[in-house]
Amino acid sequence: MILGLGGRSLGKIHGWLAVAFEGAALLTGLWIALTELGAAHPYHDASFVWLGLPDGTNFVMGTLVSPLGALMLIVVNVVGLLVVLYSNEYMAHEDGLPRYYAELMLFLAAMNGLVLSDNYLEFILMWELVGVCSYLLIGFFWRKPEAASAAKKAFIVTRVGDVLFFLGVFIFFSSLGHLTAPPTLAGTVASTYPGTSCPASPVDPSWSCLGFTFTLPNGNSDTPFLSAGAALQAANYGRSSWLPTLAGLLILGGAAGKSAQFPLHTWLPDAMEGPTTVSALIHAATMVAAGIYLLAITSIYIGFTLTAAVVIVGIGGFTSFFAGTMGLASPDIKRVIAYSTISQLGYMAMGVGASSVIVDLTNPLADATLNASGVPMFHLFTHAFFKALLFLSAGAVIHAVGTQDIFKMGGLRKAMPITSTAMLVGGLALSGIPPFAGFFSKDDVLGLTWKAATQDGSWMLYAFFGFALLGVLLTALYTFRLWFLVFSGASSRDLPPADEGHGHGAPAALASSSASEAHGGTKETPAGATHSVLASSSAPSGPAHSPAVHSGPRDPSWIMSVPLVVLATLAIVAGFIPLIPGFSNLLPGLSWTVMGECVSHCPSGAAFDPTDAMLGGLSLALAVVGILIAWSFWGNGKVYRIPTGSALAVPHRILLRKYYFDEVYDGFATHVILGISRGADWVDRYIIDGTIRGIEEIFSQASKTGRRLQTGVVSNYAAWVVVGLLAFLVFFLYVVPWLVSGAHVSLTPGL
Amino acid sequence: MSVPLVDILSLSGALFALGIFGVLTRRNFILILISVEVITNAAILNFIAFSFYSPGPAAGGITGQSIAVILVGLAATEVAVGLAIVLALNRLRGTLNVAEAIQLKF
Repeated sequence: MILGLGGRSLGKIHGWLAVAFEGAALLTGLWIALTELGAAHPYHDASFVWLGLPDGTNFVMGTLVSPLGALMLIVVNVVGLLVVLYSNEYMAHEDGLPRYYAELMLFLAAMNGLVLSDNYLEFILMWELVGVCSYLLIGFFWRKPEAASAAKKAFIVTRVGDVLFFLGVFIFFSSLGHLTAPPTLAGTVASTYPGTSCPASPVDPSWSCLGFTFTLPNGNSDTPFLSAGAALQAANYGRSSWLPTLAGLLILGGAAGKSAQFPLHTWLPDAMEGPTTVSALIHAATMVAAGIYLLAITSIYIGFTLTAAVVIVGIGGFTSFFAGTMGLASPDIKRVIAYSTISQLGYMAMGVGASSVIVDLTNPLADATLNASGVPMFHLFTHAFFKALLFLSAGAVIHAVGTQDIFKMGGLRKAMPITSTAMLVGGLALSGIPPFAGFFSKDDVLGLTWKAATQDGSWMLYAFFGFALLGVLLTALYTFRLWFLVFSGASSRDLPPADEGHGHGAPAALASSSASEAHGGTKETPAGATHSVLASSSAPSGPAHSPAVHSGPRDPSWIMSVPLVVLATLAIVAGFIPLIPGFSNLLPGLSWTVMGECVSHCPSGAAFDPTDAMLGGLSLALAVVGILIAWSFWGNGKVYRIPTGSALAVPHRILLRKYYFDEVYDGFATHVILGISRGADWVDRYIIDGTIRGIEEIFSQASKTGRRLQTGVVSNYAAWVVVGLLAFLVFFLYVVPWLVSGAHVSLTPGL
Repeated sequence: MSVPLVDILSLSGALFALGIFGVLTRRNFILILISVEVITNAAILNFIAFSFYSPGPAAGGITGQSIAVILVGLAATEVAVGLAIVLALNRLRGTLNVAEAIQLKF
C-alpha cells in the first residue's frame, strides 16, 4: 500500500491518478482498521532485520497496526483522499502539477508509514520524510520568496524539535539496548532481570514483579513499544527518575516542534504560504498529527514521569490559550485557521499530558489501564475533519475572491451558500457547539484534564486548565469573527461587477494585501474604503491564484464541493463515532459522555458525573459567549477594527506581530548564535591555528639556524660526513657496549 | 713468506686517513677526486687482505677478490662521473676550485 501510494504519474491525468491511488489507499486503510476492530491482538510483523549488529542488536523494519495507528490510518486517508480530489480543481491553474501530486502522495505515504511503524527508528525515518515533504509542499510556490523562506522556517524550526526527539530516543536505546523489544513484555523484563520473580510470558491481564504491576492494555500481549516501557520502568525503579523524565521531555520537544506547540509554534502560521490544500493536509491529517501521535504512543507504550506529564499539560494548555490570542488579531483567513490549529493541538497535547499525569510512570501503583490517550486522539480524529473542512472552505473563498484578507471580504453568504454553510459547520465544530464533533472531543479533553488536576492537586494543573478554558472562549470568538467578516452582511457588501474591478484594481490589491501582512488591522482604513477595496480584490494577490470567476464569487464546482460536503457531514457525525461497537479498541480510555451522562464505554460505576456535566456546561457557555461577542463586533456586516491610538492598539499590535517571537528568534540567531560563532571562530583562529602556527614557527626558526650549515662548499660537507662517520663509530664501539653492560648483560665475559 | 694481516690493515687505515685528509683539505676538484680514489683503494685492500687470510678457499677464498675486482670497476665509473663533473664545472665556472662553486649555499 505504501509503495502504491507513491505512484508518480505524469501527463494530464496525474491528478485523477492520484485520486485513484489515494482511494485505493483509503480502502486498504479502512480494511486494516476494521480488521483491527475485531482483532484480539494487533497485527505485528517485525521479520525484516534492517541492520544487524555483531553484538546481537537488531534494528528491525516492522509493521505494527496499533489501535491508535489504525485510527490514524482512517484519518490520514479520508482527509488525504478529499484533499487530493479537491486539488484537482483548486490547483488546476498552477505549474508543476506532477511535482505537486508526487509530493502530496509521498507525504501521505510517509504518514501512513509513520503510523504503521513498530519502533522508534522506523518512526524517525518516516517522521523525517513527513518533515521534508512539508518543506517541499510549503515551498511549492518557490518563486515567491515568502514561500521559500516559510518552507525553510518550517524545516528548521521542526528540526530543533527533531534533534530533541533523537536525543530522547538515544536515551531509550542506551537504557534498553534496543528499540524494538523481544516479542513479549514479560520476556523482556525476565531476561533483563534474571533471577527475579518476573514471569517469562505475560500473564493476562496483569502480574507483579520488581515492585511493579504490569498490565496489558486491551489484553494485547504483543506490544513492542510497551515492552520497552516496562523495561525502562523496571530499570529505573528505586532510582532517581531524572532519566525517564529527561527522555519524556525530549520526546515532548520533538512533538512540540512537529505539532507547533509553544515555543516552537512559529513555523505554522508562516506555512500558510503553501497551497491551501497543503495547509489542510498538514493541519488535519499529516504533519502536526504526527507530533500528537508520537506523544500518545509514547504515553501508552512507555509512559511519562509525573514531571514530564505536568510539563506537557502546561505546554498544551498554555498553547491553546496563547495561539487563540494571536488568532484574534490576524487579518489573514488562513492564518486565523492556522492559529486555531495550534490552539487545538494544544488541547490534544494537554489531553495526553493529563492522561499521563493519571498514569504516572514513577508511581508503581498506577494502573496502566487507566491511560486515556484515546481522549486526545479522539479530539485529533474529529479535529482532522473539521479543520480540513475549514481549510478547504477557506480555499474555496480564496479561489473565488482572490485575496486572503478577511477585511476585504464580506457578504459572501448569498454568493457561496455551500461554502458558507460548510464553514459554519466547521466553525461550530471548532467552537465546541453540540451536536458538532468538536463538542464531544474537546469536552472529553477538558474533563480529563480536570480529572488529572483533581487527582494530582497541583495548582499548576488548575492554572493550565484555566488557560484551556479561556482558550475555548477565544476559539469561539476568533472563529466567528472570521465567519462573520467573510460571509455575513447584506447585499451592500456584494461585489460590484467584475470588469470594473479588473480595470484599476490590480496594483491596489497587490499593494494593500502585502501591506496588510505587515500592518493588518492597525492600518487606518475607514470601513467605507474597505468596501471599495473589495471591488479590486478579484485581482490575483493570494498565492498566485488566478481567479476562476469573472462574474463575482460563487461556489466552486462539484470537484471542490464534494469534499466540502463530505467533510461537513463528517464534522457533524464524527462526534458520534465512538458509538460504533468495537471502536473503543481504537481509542483506549475514552468514555463517551454527554454533559456528564455517560452513554458509551463507561467506566464501571458512575453513570452520571456531575463535575463533567458542569464542565461541559461551562465550556459550552464560554463558546456561546465567544460567538455572541463576535456577533456584537463583527456580526451582520459590521467591520470593527481596533482604532489606532486606543488602549487596545498596543496589545493588538503585539498580537499581530505574534508576540515578537520571530523577532526574538531572529535576534537570538543574529546575536547569540552569531556571537557564539564569533567566539568559536576566534578560538579556531587564534588558539587552534595559533598552536599550529607556533609549531610552524619553531621549525621555521630552527631551519633558519640550521641552514647556516649549508655553506655550499663541498669540503665542508665532506667534513660533516667524516664527523658523522666518527660519531657512528664512537656510538657503536663505545656507547652501545656501555649501555648493554649497564643493563647487566655482559656480551664479552672475561675481557 | 707472508705479510702479517695487521700490517696490511695498518696500511689500509693509513691510506684511508690520507684520503680523508686529502678530501677535506684540497680545494682543487681533481685532487679531491684522487683522494676519493685513495679511500676506495684502502677499502679494496681490506677486502683482499681478509680474502687472503680467510680460512680455506671454500669459505672465503675467491669472494673477497671478486668484490675487489668489482670495486675497481666501480672506481672506474666513479672517475668517469667525477671527471664529467670536472669538465662541466670547468666549462661553467672557469675554475676547479670547490670553494668558489657554492650555489647551494643557503
